[in-house]
Amino acid sequence: MRKDLMEILACPMCKGELTLSIDEEKDDEVVRGTLYCAACDERYPIEDSIPNLLPPDLRKATSGA
Amino acid sequence: MSRTDGEIKAAVQEHYGARARQASSCCGDAGHRERLYAGQELGDLPETVASYGCGNPAAIAALRPGEVVLDLGSGPGLDCFLAAREVGATGRVIGLDMTPDMLALAEENKRKLGVTNVEFRRGEMESMPVEDASVDVIISNCVINLSPDKDAVFRESARVLRADGRLHVSDVVLSRALSQAERDDLALWAGCSSGALLESDYVGRLRAAGFEDVRVDSRSAVGEKAWHSATISAYKRASSAPPAGATAATVPLAASAVVSCGCGPNC
Repeated sequence: MRKDLMEILACPMCKGELTLSIDEEKDDEVVRGTLYCAACDERYPIEDSIPNLLPPDLRKATSGA
Repeated sequence: MSRTDGEIKAAVQEHYGARARQASSCCGDAGHRERLYAGQELGDLPETVASYGCGNPAAIAALRPGEVVLDLGSGPGLDCFLAAREVGATGRVIGLDMTPDMLALAEENKRKLGVTNVEFRRGEMESMPVEDASVDVIISNCVINLSPDKDAVFRESARVLRADGRLHVSDVVLSRALSQAERDDLALWAGCSSGALLESDYVGRLRAAGFEDVRVDSRSAVGEKAWHSATISAYKRASSAPPAGATAATVPLAASAVVSCGCGPNC
């Protein structure tokens, strides 16, 4: 995921802002990291450049989360 | 007995995950994509950028440079990559999908193509991870019918669109009501038919979500089956409030314009 796409991103639950933490990046691309919603106190992982923004219950219930 | 939302979502993920792993479309043979997108410049798109769609979203051709596009159920990314060409470097295309194998395939396709203005994210269309009023155009190709909560999809669509934003989708809709047994068949569901709404219901629910100028642009019959594919447009106006008693525009069902969707039991 590209950092400049952050402006369109929102928490799937409260639609509030997300804060990006980067664990691994390549050029402009975040390969691994976390998106954090302070309002919901929820962390959404970024793996293989794809942020997993499924709502928490669905994320935990499905494989590949 | 009705299936739960969770059961439906699990069945849909399983169906499309398997398709992604085989890099095959449920919707017909290898020529499906070329027939569906006749007249569109597919050019160098690799075969793994398959189409699972049921109609050519002509909407892609009408996109303007700089627009932000959201594709609901982006699959291997075909519509996203086509849209990306239209919106150009100043535009953005976001592909939303809930199936990890599809997203991995889409990301791989993106890397192969070297596209930089497309982003894929895992999420569900009933609770979109997208800011309010941040999108110009929503596209979706034969996906919304898979959702167990279409009202939520339409509400979320209205929320993320900017004023005067538009929704252009192709989807499978019912030409007649299905029996409860047909509805319960999860294989049917994942093949895009038992979850489909009657066309008039589809249009009515879009209006109820606050969309205006909802219209059916074209229809394609799928043989004698109980469903057909429709391309539907809807607009979010600055002061959107659904008009009372409005009805769907009447477009004749053109059996001659058959697009072989293949969606359904033999999909």
